[in-house]
Amino acid sequence: MRWLRWVAALPALAPAAILIGILVALVGATSFTNFGWGFFGFHWDPPTDQWGIMVFLIGSFLTAVPALVFSMLIGIGIAVASATYLPGYLTRILDPFVDLLAGIPSVVYGIWAFVIVAPVFGSVLEPWLVMHVAFIPGFGPPTRTDGLGVLISIFILTLMALPITTLLIRDALRSVPRDLWESGLALGATRWEVVRRVAIPYGRRGIFSAAFLGFGRAFGETVAVAMVLGAATNLPKNVYDTGNTVAAQMFELLDSAIGGTGSPQILAALAEMALVLLGISLVVNVLGRRLIASLYTEQVQGL
Amino acid sequence: MENASVPSVDNIRFDGSARTRWRLGFDRVIGWLLPLLFLVAILPILSLVYYVSARALPTLSWTVLTSTSPYRTDALGVPIIGTFEVMLLATLLAVLFGLFGGIATAEFLSDRVAGWVRMSANLLVGTPSIIIGYFGYFTFVLYFGWGLSYIAGVFTLSFFMTPYVFRTADLAFTSVPRHIREAALGSGAKPSQYILKVGTPIAFPQILTGVFLAMAIGVGETAPIVLTTQPGVLVPQTVYSPVTFLTQLIWENFAQSQSSGLQVLAFQAAFLIMVVVIALNIVVRLISSRYRKRLEGLYA
Repeated sequence: MRWLRWVAALPALAPAAILIGILVALVGATSFTNFGWGFFGFHWDPPTDQWGIMVFLIGSFLTAVPALVFSMLIGIGIAVASATYLPGYLTRILDPFVDLLAGIPSVVYGIWAFVIVAPVFGSVLEPWLVMHVAFIPGFGPPTRTDGLGVLISIFILTLMALPITTLLIRDALRSVPRDLWESGLALGATRWEVVRRVAIPYGRRGIFSAAFLGFGRAFGETVAVAMVLGAATNLPKNVYDTGNTVAAQMFELLDSAIGGTGSPQILAALAEMALVLLGISLVVNVLGRRLIASLYTEQVQGL
Repeated sequence: MENASVPSVDNIRFDGSARTRWRLGFDRVIGWLLPLLFLVAILPILSLVYYVSARALPTLSWTVLTSTSPYRTDALGVPIIGTFEVMLLATLLAVLFGLFGGIATAEFLSDRVAGWVRMSANLLVGTPSIIIGYFGYFTFVLYFGWGLSYIAGVFTLSFFMTPYVFRTADLAFTSVPRHIREAALGSGAKPSQYILKVGTPIAFPQILTGVFLAMAIGVGETAPIVLTTQPGVLVPQTVYSPVTFLTQLIWENFAQSQSSGLQVLAFQAAFLIMVVVIALNIVVRLISSRYRKRLEGLYA
């Protein structure tokens, strides 16, 4: 009956099979078209046979990195507040809001940002920034009046990465043994000093993994960014300008490919862009997951 | 829970030095400032819920929700039915792959192999949805020749949802208390008997939360659906028919024009998805909290 066990164990391979299937399908779909080094160049113009994706790669980092920094800082703040400063009944009321942030679909974020938030950015926030902080490189004029561009994308990505970073940091802080908290306090440290000198160093692996997984989320986000970043094919001149990311550009391109304008070359370029994106997100996710001591905590489930 | 806040230090003896005054003051200020950061999460949520409702509700009527007439451009009947049909089959497939896979991983695999499988499930969760969408497009739409169709969308979405079901099923079965598992197997139960009669009843609520979670994530997903199906004016007649998904309708209406009628329809669709997703999240929360209590009552 040993073979029965093997048969029963087969479905366990489903996730690995899907992952390998994705890789095989994408590699196959490239038809091994070689775009040469021009693929990592700055010029994207399919009609003239130029396939440089560097603009989109830079756009991805330009939006995902600041979003990650903001969501890490805010996430650490929220996690520390909920682990030490707030009484238990308040955390039980407030924490679900952060979880809810993870549940809102990205297309809903997108339409909300486009219709409601972008006008506020365009008519209030960005003119204010130009007036007052134009001396910072990248913050000078010109602005756009519709508010679409890098700044609002960073805002949306911060919101979307925030639940992941907050949950993982909260886990990391809660994994700090109570003995350590209390011995710190008993030695006369304030709560902040215990957080700063004991809890954060103890939970640093979890905090780093939060950074990696939050980055993976922000880097791969597609629909919301496609709605608010403005789909440009040149580099943004300042933080108010439009740009594009790898994921959003792929999304918009296939939409037009479906419309009948797709050529074999576009499909091959899309498949290779997908491989680049997949490669980056796999590396980031492997690093992030390996850092979490227990891969399976209930809190991570929802992500 | 380790949720209890750390004991207050207000009774530290104050020795009067400037340094101590600074340290205590800093701690107090931080204690007021950090909780304010919750506003960064809460204000956008409230704004989003408020504005989406405010744009959707005034014109939302029973006819809008139910009319399936192909001549009406202001009704959501077709996309609602389409979403329901896609979700039904996609959830079934995801449960099929994920549930059996998760149970097999927890029960039959060696720790080493199980570690690899779990890692790949985690990586799949971290894979951008656009990649899954492309995989579906290249595989089902082009290579299998199914075209932009109901069935291509269902398979793509189910692959997207599978790892979520998989992880909770695996977690549920690995966290069955060891003594119960050993008592069952030790008293002569076959693995199949253990799984069906002992493991499943204990793991069931948790598996259910996984399924609901996967549904909440699936119903809000846009990229995989937009890349593998095309919107139709009718509910799908065959598995190769076009099908309209609510998120897809939002994107299409958004992409085609910014005319106010289409925008209202997009907001109505967004409102429906938001309500469904929030409801599913609340159900998940209720089940898991009740489940934890029952577990504590039984095994603590």
